[in-house]
Amino acid sequence: MEATRPRLTWTLILIVGLLTLCPVAMLVIGSFSEGLNGLGTFTASKYVAVYTDPALLGVIGNTVVFVLGSSTLATGLALFLAYLNTRTDIPFKGLFRVISIVPMMIPHLLFAVSWALLLNPSNGMLNLALKQALFLDAAPFDVYTLAGMILVEGLLDMPIAYLIIAPAMGSFDVALEESSRVFGAGAWRTLVRITLPVLRPAILASFILGLVRSLASFAVPLVIGMPGRVDVLATYLYQMIATGFATDFGKAAALGMSVLAASVTLIVVYRALTSESEKFVTISGRGYRPSVIALGRWRMPMFALVALISLVMIVLPVAVLLYTSFVPYAMVPSARAFSSMGLKHWIEVLEDPLSVASLSNSVILGVGGATIGVVLSVFVAYVIVRVRTRAAGLLESLSYLSFSFPGIVIGVGFMWFFVQTPLYATLWALLVGYIATYLPYGIRPLSSAFVQVHRHLEESSLVCGASPFTTLRRIVVPLLVPGIVSAWILLASMFLRELTVSVVLSRPGTEVLAVQILRYADDGLWGKLSALGIVMIAISTALVILATALGKRFRLANTSA
Amino acid sequence: MKRIALTLALTMAAASALAADARLDKAKQEGEVAFYANITAVEPLMKAFAAETGVKATYTRISSNKFVATAITEFQAGKLMADVIQGPLPVLEMLKEKGVLASYRSPAASGYAEWTRKDDAIQLFGIELVSVIYNKDLVKPADVPKRYEDLADPKWKDKIVMANPSNHPSTISWLVGLKEHVFKSEADWRAFLKGLAANQPMFVASFGPTPAPIESGQKPIGISLPKYIVTKAPAPLDWARLDNQPLLGNPRAIAIAAKAPHPEAARAFMDWWLSPKAMGMLAKDVGETVTAPGVYPPIAGIDKAKVLSIRELSDEELAKWGAEFKQIFSVR
Repeated sequence: MEATRPRLTWTLILIVGLLTLCPVAMLVIGSFSEGLNGLGTFTASKYVAVYTDPALLGVIGNTVVFVLGSSTLATGLALFLAYLNTRTDIPFKGLFRVISIVPMMIPHLLFAVSWALLLNPSNGMLNLALKQALFLDAAPFDVYTLAGMILVEGLLDMPIAYLIIAPAMGSFDVALEESSRVFGAGAWRTLVRITLPVLRPAILASFILGLVRSLASFAVPLVIGMPGRVDVLATYLYQMIATGFATDFGKAAALGMSVLAASVTLIVVYRALTSESEKFVTISGRGYRPSVIALGRWRMPMFALVALISLVMIVLPVAVLLYTSFVPYAMVPSARAFSSMGLKHWIEVLEDPLSVASLSNSVILGVGGATIGVVLSVFVAYVIVRVRTRAAGLLESLSYLSFSFPGIVIGVGFMWFFVQTPLYATLWALLVGYIATYLPYGIRPLSSAFVQVHRHLEESSLVCGASPFTTLRRIVVPLLVPGIVSAWILLASMFLRELTVSVVLSRPGTEVLAVQILRYADDGLWGKLSALGIVMIAISTALVILATALGKRFRLANTSA
Repeated sequence: MKRIALTLALTMAAASALAADARLDKAKQEGEVAFYANITAVEPLMKAFAAETGVKATYTRISSNKFVATAITEFQAGKLMADVIQGPLPVLEMLKEKGVLASYRSPAASGYAEWTRKDDAIQLFGIELVSVIYNKDLVKPADVPKRYEDLADPKWKDKIVMANPSNHPSTISWLVGLKEHVFKSEADWRAFLKGLAANQPMFVASFGPTPAPIESGQKPIGISLPKYIVTKAPAPLDWARLDNQPLLGNPRAIAIAAKAPHPEAARAFMDWWLSPKAMGMLAKDVGETVTAPGVYPPIAGIDKAKVLSIRELSDEELAKWGAEFKQIFSVR
């Protein structure tokens, strides 16, 4: 029996539609309007101008490689780390869980800059160290290449993939694997034939989210692509809006429409690929327990490998930030650099009233926004997974609308929209803008968790006389806790470092962290930038630890009750 | 006669002081002033204005590529919150054309050169001066460029950082400015561009990211802003003194908004901004080159440099030259 729940579905379509359709509709209007403010007489000239540029073709080629490469890297790495963390007895698990989501908390601009400091061919710290250690004549790595861009973007998007895959992995029914083993399949065959196929919705979800994200990504193309003269769609868009003063965002929106079309197509493909959701159900109420595989003699080598990955991708960039925040100006590490370290940047940042105000605004937006976002996401994910009607498909596509628009353009869409409402220049505008843009971060982990909870559990509850709401509260939500925690963490740390919407909507009184960081970047003040970035990472870390602990407690309380 | 003139002058001075006082009283009643600007690092000035006048000043930084879109969107929706608007001259000219700016001639600018008064609304107060900046720990004095042409010397191959000449408006205008003010012929200018391109400069998005690679030695030399010598002290940065060649820069403009929510505070802020005291702070703390007579940033030798304000390019010209520079600099 298929539950259709039309009232819930249409209420959600209305809410999500209002959130995401308004800015996108403004951009559609803007792309067909004369003039610069998004409202003018009809013209198709902006589309003609954009799509007849011969340079566009090369840019699209680079973009495809960049997007596929970084999403593959992100998903592959996430799968590997999630498997080790949730399914094996690898030591120091708590540490790995925190470490595998740290890159998400680092503002992308800073992450890209620290990789440039590590791997630039002139005096990148890692390159210098390798040159000395291996007696090389030239730097072994050049970050300013397409491969460098894929590496950095892949690392940045890995946490999203991890937070979608890990909960699915964590609630995996071990009976499936045991059956496979009983029938004589080896560990590798079981992994390839059972484990990975069962995880297909989560893997696809993370891969597609990675594609959409890197398509809209801006920091990596700007900081790493531009010096390497590798143009992708984001840099092409940037050049389009940066070259003159009477910036035509309508033209940028016209180009953004094809990105949007590509993203919506991807979502449709994803839905088709995971349409037989019954296949992927693993928590059915019959002997559900995730199991742990003993790594045996591979335990320490695997730990060493993960430690090395963590060192290269998290510890090094964060250490670079820490170092930069203490030296008086950009310096290559040396005795002189270490002797001139001090707290100047830290003191200036912490004494700056704007930094302090932006800190408190960002925390409010992070905690409040993530909480509201998760509540909305639980309902939306429920409808997307359980109510597989056309309306549910519409809801899913709507939830991706603002998200799949290139960042620099969607902010302007929100400005064109909010300026018509009393919310303009308030924290509420930012809150609504954030939730509307990043809703998929809440929905994805929750829907991949929903997919794995068998409908029988709900049906049993309903048969026993519980109302749908009670069923949701008593049966579904407790099983979804890992997904809820993941979604909350993703949303909160995203909101804490959100830049693209904020940079257009932030006004006096609604300053936020990322805009403050951008101001420092515009002035070339890397020291202050790094100090504030570390404060931001510290707050995100605290929120992650808090959310994880709360999730654990909630789950324990429920299982013991 | 003399006595009458003196009395008249004193009366006028007293009257204008009284007017200023009256304006300040009204500004205080309005309570605050909102400043939309693309200039950065001016928070100390906001604080000083508030301390001196008791009127709170809020500063909203808007990057130049979003400036026109933001101001016009807000203006047409009746929600422009700015009282005073500061930006590159072409931006303010566009806003004036759309009716966003009010006519106001600040008495504080009466001593400024005539060319700084663009019209009855826009006042030029600074120049975003561009120059060759180098790392003085890494570049020997003998190697420091003496002419722009020296940047095309092959010894600088892979050693230069600059903002992307295909889309950074200030860099595009600067390169065109060199053609119009420095090079004798277009052929000479093109030869210079070709040589500079052959040196494979590293491109960054704007001036903001140019000083860090110079300081760290990633690229020992760059096309950047001398103001970083002040704001990034004690970094080992210096500017190249040129033999008989001028330094060029884009003019910075200021005006008040036509429908300023706090009109008296707006005028009081503009008067204060253009005063020798505020201009002195801008020069001393932010390293800005200002048009107020006799005020210089604390950068050794910059007061002796010949400074030219370059012609503002239209968006069509920027796009045309940007595309051409993209071609010229695309060599590998």
